[in-house]
Amino acid sequence: MRKILREYLEKTAKQTILIHRSDTLIKLILRTIVSKLNLEYAAMAIYDKNKDEYVIKISRTKGNFKIPPNFLKITKENPIVKYFTNKDFPSRKDHIFLDKISLLIKSKKIKRNPKLLRFLEDLKFTLLLYRARACIAGFFGKDLIGILFLGERKDKKKINDDDLAFLSVLSTDIVMSLKNAWLFEDLNYQIQKNKDLFLQTVLALASSIEAKDRYTRGHTERVVKYSLAIADVLKKYIKIQNYDKFKEDLRISALLHDIGKIGVPERILNKKKPLNVKDIEYIRKHPVIGADILEKIKDFKDIVLAVKHHHERYDGKGYPDGLKNKKIPLLASIIAIADAFDAMTTDRPYRKAFSLKEAVKEIKRNRKRQFSPLVVDSFLKAFPLDKNEESFNITHLGSRGS
Amino acid sequence: MRNNKKILIVDDDIAVIDFFASFLERFNLEVIKAKNADEALKFFNLNKPDLVFLDIQLPDRDGVSVLKDILEISPKAKVFMLTAKSEKILQKKAKEIGAFDYITKPIDLAIFIKKIKRYIEI
Repeated sequence: MRKILREYLEKTAKQTILIHRSDTLIKLILRTIVSKLNLEYAAMAIYDKNKDEYVIKISRTKGNFKIPPNFLKITKENPIVKYFTNKDFPSRKDHIFLDKISLLIKSKKIKRNPKLLRFLEDLKFTLLLYRARACIAGFFGKDLIGILFLGERKDKKKINDDDLAFLSVLSTDIVMSLKNAWLFEDLNYQIQKNKDLFLQTVLALASSIEAKDRYTRGHTERVVKYSLAIADVLKKYIKIQNYDKFKEDLRISALLHDIGKIGVPERILNKKKPLNVKDIEYIRKHPVIGADILEKIKDFKDIVLAVKHHHERYDGKGYPDGLKNKKIPLLASIIAIADAFDAMTTDRPYRKAFSLKEAVKEIKRNRKRQFSPLVVDSFLKAFPLDKNEESFNITHLGSRGS
Repeated sequence: MRNNKKILIVDDDIAVIDFFASFLERFNLEVIKAKNADEALKFFNLNKPDLVFLDIQLPDRDGVSVLKDILEISPKAKVFMLTAKSEKILQKKAKEIGAFDYITKPIDLAIFIKKIKRYIEI
């Protein structure tokens, strides 16, 4: 999974939402800043929640100000942090320019406020210590999670508004990337700690995926609903051992079946034109990426397989492994139909939704082709069409839609 | 204008030494670099530095025993131990033996400069 994400990073460094190794991105950004603005150095201090301080993890330099990784920190007592976080400070901004602070110190207005003057002098001195011409704050909401340090410009030019806009964008990218990296870190931590917490995090992630794919909003929820309804009928046909566990596994697998879309670029998910070969290749990775994410949990074995194989076909023409017939896990076969049915009955970027009648016909047509016949039969029993063939003759599902 | 003050830095991480050197030289301090205990003692004898920054973990010996040797040569030597925050036991031991103070890595330069300002005019 790491490899896939890294390949992705190299291709589209800007779509940071998908990156869980933020170091690579930060290095890339610092390198860009240093060369574009011709700086002596640029460095990124990142909030360390265990120590409650900011540590310079990564820096890039053109001169001789090489900061070893994890060697410098900025504590909360440091005037730079205070400037960004102190609510009392009158003109709080998300950036500090050394020149502006120097001007401010000389202004008459400040001279009348000795406390503020002392603070600004302290701030200026600190900037000089870090050889910083400017610092840019990286906020996520109200939290300061990173500080970008910018050294002297070698051409001695000033940093102008255009540069600042450019820097702010990059700083936001870094913040998003860090936030995501932390989410993944938490994820790994929770795996060891607590399955439920893990699930919540995965779901939070999943819903962020759903949020970015505007055509599938509510999709997951409906797939869960359909899957469980199918299972309840299916258990009358065949003996399912430990049905309670089966149903719980089904619920979780259905919830998480598309989690691997985290590795699929937004531009592909929301593409209006038909997908090209490369796009399809990307999308086809999502079951495996999903399985990789979930694999770390010990008792998720069946769920991992369900997620991995929910795009297999009964006739063996599916992916990723081309499994056939009974080789496909039952959980995956159920999700496959629920997933396909919901996809057909909702608008997609490239086509309008099918009517219920058409969708049911399509499912029937694919009995023994795409879908397991047993599961198709269960589906048809679970969702009988009414006489008009315009709605389902059922009450147990509640209303459709998100 | 030379300050004439000399600082000996002992650390096995060259990047750390170089950073200290480039940082302190801006304050007109002369920096002497040592990568291990051997060099540390040799350069201490040779240069009689005003301050010593001594990493508590060195490749050939532990920093505390080097501190002992330095204080034997010059009981009034001002030695700052460089430690990680977690190395509490070593910090305590160094203080008992006679370390002047210690500096925890990672370093906040604002705090660092305040600490050494007391011993060196900047």
